[in-house]
Amino acid sequence: MNERGVEYLTPDPDVFRAYSRDHKQRRLVSKLMSEQDAVATFIDDGDYLVYDCNYLQRGPASLVREIIRQQKRDLWVGAKFTYVALALLVQAGCASRADVGYFGSRGPVFTRAIKEGRLKFYEYSNAGMTLRLRAGAQGASFIQNRSLGGTDGFRYSGACTIEDPFTGRPTVVLPALYPDVAIIHVQEADIYGNARVYGTGIAHTEAAMAAKKVIISTERLVDTAEIRQNPALTSIPWLAVDAVVLAPYGAYPGSCQGAYAVDAEHTMEVFAAMAQDRIGEYLEKWVYSVSDHADMLERRIGANQLIGLRNREIIREGYAS
Amino acid sequence: MTAATTFNEREAESCYVARLIEDGRTYWVAGGGGPMYAVLLAQRIGYAPNAQYITEDGAIAPEPMLPFDPIQTMVSSRAGYRALQWGTMNTAQDYAALGLIDYGILNTLQVDTHGNINSTFLGEYPDAGRRFGGPGGADSIAAMAWRTILMTDQQRRKFVNRVDFISSPGFLDGTEGAREEAGLPAGTGPWRVVTPAAMYDYTEDRQLRLIAVSAWTTVDEVLSECEHRPIVADEVAVLDPPTDEELTIYRTELDVRGQTSDRGKWIVFNGEKYEPMEDEA
Repeated sequence: MNERGVEYLTPDPDVFRAYSRDHKQRRLVSKLMSEQDAVATFIDDGDYLVYDCNYLQRGPASLVREIIRQQKRDLWVGAKFTYVALALLVQAGCASRADVGYFGSRGPVFTRAIKEGRLKFYEYSNAGMTLRLRAGAQGASFIQNRSLGGTDGFRYSGACTIEDPFTGRPTVVLPALYPDVAIIHVQEADIYGNARVYGTGIAHTEAAMAAKKVIISTERLVDTAEIRQNPALTSIPWLAVDAVVLAPYGAYPGSCQGAYAVDAEHTMEVFAAMAQDRIGEYLEKWVYSVSDHADMLERRIGANQLIGLRNREIIREGYAS
Repeated sequence: MTAATTFNEREAESCYVARLIEDGRTYWVAGGGGPMYAVLLAQRIGYAPNAQYITEDGAIAPEPMLPFDPIQTMVSSRAGYRALQWGTMNTAQDYAALGLIDYGILNTLQVDTHGNINSTFLGEYPDAGRRFGGPGGADSIAAMAWRTILMTDQQRRKFVNRVDFISSPGFLDGTEGAREEAGLPAGTGPWRVVTPAAMYDYTEDRQLRLIAVSAWTTVDEVLSECEHRPIVADEVAVLDPPTDEELTIYRTELDVRGQTSDRGKWIVFNGEKYEPMEDEA
């Protein structure tokens, strides 16, 4: 809590270092597990959660659904570059705080949750949040930011203005973010958690390095020998990772660059659910009434449609080795 | 170039912005849609063949494969197609922080006379009113691009004296040095405001100034859709309507699904002058 009464996750690099010393697995051991085990083991009620990308763009959509299915509570969400996932988490009663960069705000779910005191927002920007993760990922406790100053968002953030000790000019600094848990969807990973992201992204490497616990979901598993053949492609190293979940179509209904296109019809379905205050029905159909991601793919979507999404992704240049 | 006779006012707005694009400059376009189309139109019609753009996900100078699926304006294979570099959000913010981005182009929900932008809350923050999604990437663009072009609607409720919540910075309270005192990079700020009806710049002392209006409207009509009366330039120009050449590229190569023109008024030339079409009852 700062002098403006704004709550933020207190950054303490030495606490994080001690956590890394005691909990980050140095040895190459398989971390492959089911989505149920990964979420049950590594996500606790009250955790600060970051996910990279979002429900419609190479995000960890299957893991978000599993979090909802397991009814995690009181999560504090790093809500940058996100359209749908925050609405689902709030409607499901999983999230009670959010640091905002940008989220899809259509429909009454947010305004209602604020009024009822079930949800608190703190204000940053998308890059403000990724800079906070960068600070965490470099073991710092704060980072200089050349934006955010002068805005009303600043007043409702953990940022402060200091005199730059080197130029003497006023500058904004942001608290580093060390999330409790990061969930990240990637195109390729080995069983130890060496992971490759292809294409543009938001802050997958920073999120993985700065988070205490990291769950990777991957489109496909690759041999470690393959990772060693082109180490420049490793976006996230095994050292950071606690769980690897094999999740083909894990970004569904979103797209996954080079693998499959977005399900445009589903996009409209979930947007309509937000706008019409019917997210509960959406969750019943896509989350609660199926046992897991594979069950959802089989019973709610089917092979024909999945092949169609793969065929609609016609661009392969630059994706996958 | 032939003046077009039937078009949507939002198409016109994009054409106005396209004509502002400077060759050989870099643009950070927010959120796909109008801002991105404006740069691509300027590239393809030849106004600015060597203008380049980046997006918030670190797509650096892409040659996008249009059209995009809904929402897939970033972190998608089509949006990032044949870029010169793929980075992440911090890549984009670093480009801007380093002074490499000449212009930012933003679509805004609500903008005030100082060019401050609200995309967070209409009403009294935090709980008396309607919550919106937040600044996203606009704060970085508005803070750090050398010049910012704002696209918005010419409506009193969107074009206000003072925004309810400053999500992204314009000239803040309008005083000299306000941005620098807040820690923002020196020499940056709003440069043009473009609406379907008008174009504004800023005077040397950071006052909003009406400099041009669309062919189908008047200065008085535009001023009636401003909550706070801006300075009016001594000579207010009339903006050239879109040309057939511009609209052909816009409609067949860029906004091929009509996502821009599904809202907003249609404008027709009746043989003598341009007129907004009345809405069908």
